[in-house]
Formats: sequence, structure tokens, C-alpha cells
Amino acid sequence: MDQEIRSYCRSKGFHLHTEARWLGYNEADRSALLEMIREVRPGENHFKDLLDWLDEIALRDGTPIATLLQKELSGVVTDPRLGRNDKLKRLKEELRRLRFPRLAGIEDEIHRRIRNLKLPRGISINVPPGLEGGGVGVKIEATSQEHLRRLAADASRAIDSDEMKQIFTMLDSGTAGT
Amino acid sequence: MKSYRPQEIVVEPGVEESPIYRNVKRAFPDLPFLSSAETGVLTPPDFGAAKRRLFLQRHRGEFLKKCPGSDGQVCCNYFVINFASNCPMDCSYCYLQEYLGSNPALKVFTNVGDLIAEAGEMLEKHRKFFFRIGTGEITDSLALDPYIGFSAEVIPFFAEQPNALLELKTKSDCVDGLLGIDPKERVVVSWSMNPQRVVDADEHDTASLDERIAAAKRCQAAGYKLGFHFDPMVEYDGWEQDYRNMVERLFAAVDFRRVAWISMGVLRTTPALKRAMRSRFPSSRLPTGEQILCPDGKLRYFQPLRVSMYRKMLAWIRAAAPTTFVYLCMESREVWEQVFGFIPACEKELGSRMTESVAL
Ligand code: SF4
Repeated sequence: MDQEIRSYCRSKGFHLHTEARWLGYNEADRSALLEMIREVRPGENHFKDLLDWLDEIALRDGTPIATLLQKELSGVVTDPRLGRNDKLKRLKEELRRLRFPRLAGIEDEIHRRIRNLKLPRGISINVPPGLEGGGVGVKIEATSQEHLRRLAADASRAIDSDEMKQIFTMLDSGTAGT
Repeated sequence: MKSYRPQEIVVEPGVEESPIYRNVKRAFPDLPFLSSAETGVLTPPDFGAAKRRLFLQRHRGEFLKKCPGSDGQVCCNYFVINFASNCPMDCSYCYLQEYLGSNPALKVFTNVGDLIAEAGEMLEKHRKFFFRIGTGEITDSLALDPYIGFSAEVIPFFAEQPNALLELKTKSDCVDGLLGIDPKERVVVSWSMNPQRVVDADEHDTASLDERIAAAKRCQAAGYKLGFHFDPMVEYDGWEQDYRNMVERLFAAVDFRRVAWISMGVLRTTPALKRAMRSRFPSSRLPTGEQILCPDGKLRYFQPLRVSMYRKMLAWIRAAAPTTFVYLCMESREVWEQVFGFIPACEKELGSRMTESVAL
């Protein structure tokens, strides 16, 4: 197995530190990482990001990396419908969710509420990545003056809605009001 | 608190007449004093090892620098004096692991006379301005004091300055050298405070919470103003109870009316610091918090979480020390607004609010 790890690292041009880090895990973790790598084939930076998050979740929850990969994440890694790039993207999303459970929960809830606003095409609402900054971005794109008027009226209704109030409450304190 | 004992002391030729050298010689009569002319510039093998070899040398260049703050964050207009570099204690989150990573030698600068002359010239030249000056940017202000006697050299000078306030910031309880000197309202001794659970897990070789509170009480009794930095605040299961207890215990022991300022700041790291932490303190759980990369390149708890931490902490502080000036360290304008409902117009405003708060 270690030979395969070394060849993978060499073939991808990984730094020796990264190779040593991988080889420094126990056998079960090394092997689970190798299985994941065979499916996802990330480059070095993505691999290091994955390792950082896996290490941190393992330390926080006391769950070995092998368990995380084989139980929590195997659905993504082995999903035959996904290509390599999509697997990597989904894997990172799922791992981020495990690594930042409360942040991801708030983001999901905010996005759910944005969807509930049922905004017409031409209005989009965005929250910053990681919720840093505490602001909401609203973009209106109209094709005519009349279109703009209609969109502005829709935006105004959205502004006064309870959903919007809850979005700001969550951005402020992380919890929805009652 | 564990006392500091280096393995050896490396001395630059020519510094033997300085009071710092004499104090160190008196403190460690049995340790080898090597001349850097013979040893050359020894590069310590790693950051931890660097703390066990003490260098005594002259400082070349300016001692006084404007505190760099952090990009885009509200700054409090502060000057720093670097009388030493690196620290004998060993907090897992210490930013010096990154900042001094390539030059980690523990150095004490012996030319205190030059430092005093430089500060004197600046203060004299700008009598219309008031300066807050700290010594704890790249070292702890007091942890080495029992061995080097730095405070006894500089406090009498600052005590006579009409336009400066010296802040000595520490996680130690090394205050004996201060108690016999009259600070004349010109010196704030401040502590970085954390619950004992955080001290035990991540503030290695520092004074315990009880020792810090006891030392603060002694300084207050000796006429010093106090400051407290609840920084870095760490979020974990049960943090609320621990931080609340700490605030209550602290203000049961010291008179808040003689506290110059209190700051709050959550744990901040960077990707590079996290790598250093992972290698030096692999079991520290600090990097596992929900910290995200902020625009200034630092990792902090995500904003709604840290705003909620600050608000809770502020309420506990207000209940125990209702009139003490409280500010945020290295936080964005948005977070200031969310926590306090205002943003200081500029760094001068924050600085002058702090200065006013000292006129107790
Ligand atoms: S006391 Fe301050 S300077 Fe010393 S190790 Fe801790 S954080 Fe670093």
C-alpha cells in the first residue's frame, strides 16, 4: 500500500511533506485515504484541504479518519453517477458540512428562506461566504423600465416579509427568531 | 506558575555593563554564560528549543513602533516597545510561532538606556499628543521580569511622563518587581484572562487563573491601574459558565473603578499558524472550532457565533464592572456595530476614549 501511496504522490508531483503526512497515519487511515484517492484523484492542494478537515473532525469528535471516509462520506466517494470533479466537489461540500455543522446549518436555513421568498427571475439575494460581513446582497437585473418597476415591487414585498426578517436575525445572531 | 530556567545564556560582547546583564547574572549564577563571539549566531533547532536559550544583546534600530493592527479592522492607536523577542511561556495559539518562525531566538535587549532616550525624545517632541505604549507585542511584558528587572528600569521613567501611559501586558504573576515603585497613574498592568480549563489545555507554563487574579489584586493595592484582555476567547461546551464565573471572580477580587480598560477578542489564527500548532501541539482542540477565513487573512469563529459570544461576555462584564471601558480587539466595523451599536469614527477616537477611561 505504501508503495502505491508513494507512486500516487510522485505521479501528481506532491511535495514530500504531503507524502510524509499521508504515510504518517495509521494503517486503516492510510488505506481509507488511498481508496478515496483512487475514486476522486485530487491534486495536492485539494488533498491537503481534505486532510486538514479530516484531521480536525477526527480530533474534535474522536472519530478515526477511516471511519469518517467509510461511513460518513463513502456515499459520495463511490457514487457511480458522479464524475471525478463532481465527486471532489461533493466530497468537499459534505466534509465542510461535517467540519462546520452550525455554520452549514445556518447557511442552509438562510438559503431555504431565500427560496421561500419565491423571487422572480431578475432578483437574486446572496449572503457572503461563511456569513462574514453580516450583510445581504440584493441584485436586480431588469430588461426594461416596466420590468424594473415590477421587480422593485417584488423586492419591496420580500423586504417586508417575515422570511427576510428571519434571514437578518440569523445573520446577526445565528438563530432564527420566533 | 512555573519559573523560567534557560539551559544557557548567550551574551553579546560589550553588554556586560548593562543592568539587565547584571540582573540575569544574579538570577542564574550557576548557568553557563557563553559569548556570542565564540558560539556565533546559533540558530535554535526549533521554536520550543529556542525558548531555552536566552540571548542578551543590544537592540539595533528603533525600539518604538506603531502597533500594526490588522487590515480592515478597527485599531486602537497604540505604540509598542520591543524590549525582548519571543516568550518563555508556550501558549499553543501564540502567533509568535508564525511571526518569529524563522527567527525564534529568545532575546532580551540590554540597551535599556537607548530605549528610554528614544521614548523620551518622542514624548518630549509631541507633548500635545497622548501615547499609549505597550511592551507585550512580541513577548510577554512581565514573564522575564524576575530575572531581567526590566520594569524597575522603565517604570520610574514612564511615571514621570505627562503624555504617556505604559501598559505591561502579561499572562504571568511576576509582579514583585513592580510593587515597590510608585507608578504615578502612568502604568497599567494588564492580564490576558482565560478560564482555568483553557489555561490548562493551551496556555502552557503561564500563571493559573487564580495566580493572575491574585497578582492583579496586589498590583491594584500597590497603586497600579489594571487592564484585562479577555482574549483569546475560546468557544467550547460549557464556555459560558466558565467565562461568566471568571468575570465574577475577577471583579469580586479587584475594584472595577480602578480598571482602565477591558478588551474582548476571539481566538484568531492563520493557516500558517494552524500548521505550526498542529505540529507543536497536536492534541490542542483549538483549531477544531468553527473558524473561517476572514478578509484580513485571519481565521475567526464565524460572525454570528462570535457576535453572540461577545454580546454574552459584554453582558457579564457590564453586570460586574458597569462603567469600565470595553473594546474589541482586531474586529471589523460590522462586528463593532453589532456588539456595541456604534463604530469608533477612527482609530484616534478609540484611542482617546481609552485615554479618557484612564482618568479615573
Ligand atoms: S504568553 Fe503571550 S507571548 Fe507568551 S507564549 Fe503565550 S501568547 Fe505567546
